[in-house]
Amino acid sequence: MLNRRLSVAAAIVLGSTLAVGAQDGLFSGKTIEVVVPFGEGGATFVSAKFLEPYLEKHLPGNPDLDVVSRPGGGSILGANWFEQNAKSDGTTILFTTSSTANPFVLGQKGVEYKLADYRVAYSHPFSAVAYVSPTTGVTNAAGIRDSSVPLIYGGIAAAASDLPGLLSFEVLDVDVKSVLGFNGRGPVRLAFEQGELNIDYQFTPVYLTQVVPSVAEGRAVPLWTGGAMEDGVLKARDPIAPELPSVYEVYEELNGKAPSGIEWDAFQGIASVTYAYGLTGYMHPDTPQEVLDAFAEAVAAINADPEFQEESQKVTNGARLNAGPDTESAVKAALSPSTEVKDYLRNLLSSKFGVTF
Amino acid sequence: MIENAVMALDALFDPIRLAALFTGMIVGMVFGMLPGLGGVAAVSILLPFIYYLAPYSGLAMLLGAVSVVYTSDTITSVLIGAPGSPASAPTAIEGHALAKQGQASRALGVGFLASMVGGLTGAAILFVAIPIAGPIVLMLSTPELFMFALVGLYYAASMIGKDLAKGLAAACLGVLLGVVGPAQAAADFRYTFDQVYLLDGFSLTIVALGLFGVAEVISMLAAGGGISHERVKVDHWGEGFRDFWKAKWLVLRAAVIGVFGGFVPAVGASASTWVAYGHAIHSTKDKSRFGKGEIRGIAASEGANNATVISDLVPTLLFSVPGGPAAAIFLGALFSFGYYPGPRMITQNPDLMFLIVWSVALTSVVGAGLCFAITPALARLTRIPFAIIAAPLVLIMVIGAYQSTSTMGDIFMLFLLGGLGWLMKHGGWPRAPALVGFVLSGPMEQYFWLTNQIYGWSWLTRPGVLIIGSVIVIPMFLSFVRRLRARGRKAEPAPENALPTLNAPSHGIALVLAAIVSVMFAYALWETFSFNPASRLMPGLAILPGLPLALYLLVRGLRGYRNDFSRDANELWVLVALFVYAVAVWAFGLSIPTVALIAWMLLVKARMRIWTGLIYGTAVFAVIRLLFDLLRGDAPVGALIPFS
Repeated sequence: MLNRRLSVAAAIVLGSTLAVGAQDGLFSGKTIEVVVPFGEGGATFVSAKFLEPYLEKHLPGNPDLDVVSRPGGGSILGANWFEQNAKSDGTTILFTTSSTANPFVLGQKGVEYKLADYRVAYSHPFSAVAYVSPTTGVTNAAGIRDSSVPLIYGGIAAAASDLPGLLSFEVLDVDVKSVLGFNGRGPVRLAFEQGELNIDYQFTPVYLTQVVPSVAEGRAVPLWTGGAMEDGVLKARDPIAPELPSVYEVYEELNGKAPSGIEWDAFQGIASVTYAYGLTGYMHPDTPQEVLDAFAEAVAAINADPEFQEESQKVTNGARLNAGPDTESAVKAALSPSTEVKDYLRNLLSSKFGVTF
Repeated sequence: MIENAVMALDALFDPIRLAALFTGMIVGMVFGMLPGLGGVAAVSILLPFIYYLAPYSGLAMLLGAVSVVYTSDTITSVLIGAPGSPASAPTAIEGHALAKQGQASRALGVGFLASMVGGLTGAAILFVAIPIAGPIVLMLSTPELFMFALVGLYYAASMIGKDLAKGLAAACLGVLLGVVGPAQAAADFRYTFDQVYLLDGFSLTIVALGLFGVAEVISMLAAGGGISHERVKVDHWGEGFRDFWKAKWLVLRAAVIGVFGGFVPAVGASASTWVAYGHAIHSTKDKSRFGKGEIRGIAASEGANNATVISDLVPTLLFSVPGGPAAAIFLGALFSFGYYPGPRMITQNPDLMFLIVWSVALTSVVGAGLCFAITPALARLTRIPFAIIAAPLVLIMVIGAYQSTSTMGDIFMLFLLGGLGWLMKHGGWPRAPALVGFVLSGPMEQYFWLTNQIYGWSWLTRPGVLIIGSVIVIPMFLSFVRRLRARGRKAEPAPENALPTLNAPSHGIALVLAAIVSVMFAYALWETFSFNPASRLMPGLAILPGLPLALYLLVRGLRGYRNDFSRDANELWVLVALFVYAVAVWAFGLSIPTVALIAWMLLVKARMRIWTGLIYGTAVFAVIRLLFDLLRGDAPVGALIPFS
């Protein structure tokens, strides 16, 4: 791409030093296009740009990465574009979130991409933290059912990235009024600060930079996180916020037993795609195993790179990337839930939130 | 605080940072002039380069680009009549009318000065308000935002014009276009016809380009080899300076409106420009010149949109919530440089805040000066036959539209809405209320729904709501009192229309438009029954007045029908050619139809000689392909033959 050539020219002119490694390698001289189906400047785009230099540095042959934003249709347009145009040699990557996965899982109209068939190159956890306003009188996760005022949650749309949050309220049997129709999680957080809403979920990087200051000033009380995967169950504490319990633990504490049943299955399926594998790089179904192995090795090298560790400490409290067969099978399992879970989700969404399929 | 401000100014005067700032400014000026491409395109084209610069230089480059877009777009709006960016549509209405009367330099002079003062005012307000900007943003809760939208609607009412039925119908049509896509209140997708493209609704850029830009370009092409308008001369600025001085308080008030518009996330420049324009109409005694070339309209809208630039960044910096799409990209750049905007920003990085203030202030002044310098040369371009300029303009609009989703839908939608804009222009429907209706319908519905969900009806007693509400109620009350007093006195004779209308609306086109819009409203009404009740409110607000109005216009049109299509036949063929072009791009990819369109425009419409046409056409085509590549849009590939 001309653009890329120009940037390289600019780099040379400005005397910037780019890491130049081995010239021979799988991706030597190639450009990998990373398609982000959201706008430039959004969280996913920023994360893709954040990972860009590390992948360029550690992939064999030091390819150029080109992060391209293809917004539209709540990420469906960009994913459909990928379905039609992705190359099968690993040089096209769809880097996206549960906003792309949920419409696929729920079988919504307009979805042409077959996400469960795609190969999983790498994944970045992107957990979320629930917190309440002190005006509710709630001081910890176990006290969530004893709020002194009705709980009001703000969201964008039930079938998109709000789904795991809403499902967690179902699992914990918390009575929450959901006001949907906000423009994004940013405006939701603003409404929380303005006192319009009193319970909220924010993704961890946002929580760390935006909500933690409020917690320190006593204007927000953190409750729980979505949790992390352990032996195929979403029960471990999130390494990004290890002081907070997972939804699993909160359920145990409230009910005295481990969570089970359709509500839990639905929550775990949706939440693991949203949180544990929050940002995932997908590839064409026919991508050779060699390419995926190369990415797995690069991810291991990135996780060990002290520069990455230092930077990610600032942004995500030190979250590490995932890759390899275990990650891939877990993502694929979460993308293909049982018929009962699908029916439950579709029923819940249409009866409680008026979603039409 | 002063210490930080001085330090930041000193930091900005580093040669590399200044060079970055002015490079960004020049890119911003060019993109501001290209219709449909604005701050977002300028910033995204610069984005790959800033990563090779140090943080301050990189951010200065982006700031340079965003702060002049609304200054240089004035040139396009005035000289051509196609808005350089959606937020300068009022300037296009008033400024182009003035240019046609040979007063382009007056319009441009006021536009540039108002832009500069708007930018400076925004910077000054932010400078003073940095410590209290946070609480101000927090004060503006959902009910207050809803009231802002209502104020906008109230002002929009003053743009309706003489023909009440057409003006109201146009506003309803705009609201209807605005409700396409996801409903705010419930999980309904409205009027999407199962097209993924429509799931997000229409893009503001495409609606503004379609309604205003395409129709102008069609006229330019139809004018062919001749020069359709009076020569645009830009020589003496004196009158513009005097006009500006007379309107100085209006510009300042408009700038304050713009600053508040920017504080509100996702409302931004377009809405506040219209509110400022409406304010200009309200505060001007003789309203007869509005729409026909009123200098105060330009002063207000340019003052407002430039002031928005910097206040858009306030929610971005303090709460990490971008005020507009260009601010969203700026936010991404901040993240990449390791700045995490948020409540701690002011205390942690005070010099960064002041760097922003200084960058915007400096570029506002230098950018306006540069605009003054280059405009005489640009105005000379208008002496070239318009069809020759129109050829690249059509294609630049296609690129601008294609920035929304980079799918064929963008191109189809541009020309479909262009067809609608053309029908409105020739059928005598005002386009301003349609665009305002479109801009406001989203926020109105969203904030009304959220407000009612969160507060019930108790929000009506909030102090902020009462204060903003008084902006509507007090002038209404005053004008009511005035009317009561005036009663009994003899009604003033209707003021003679100072300017004879150049193009009386075509009866035939008005009838066709009324028929199309009636069908649209009727269909919209029918589909409404399949929505959740909460999603019906806003379409209902458009359809319930809109359908009877459209039917009334249909009956009126049938009664007064005269076959006068032949008058506009020339332009109609250009419109048809553009439709054919869109379909051909879908079928054969970008290159072949574009070459054909350029050849047709230059050789047939502009009657250029074959060799000059060939050289010029090749240059145009090369630039268009280059722009597609620079803006990272893969050119559309043909559905029938796989070629782009």
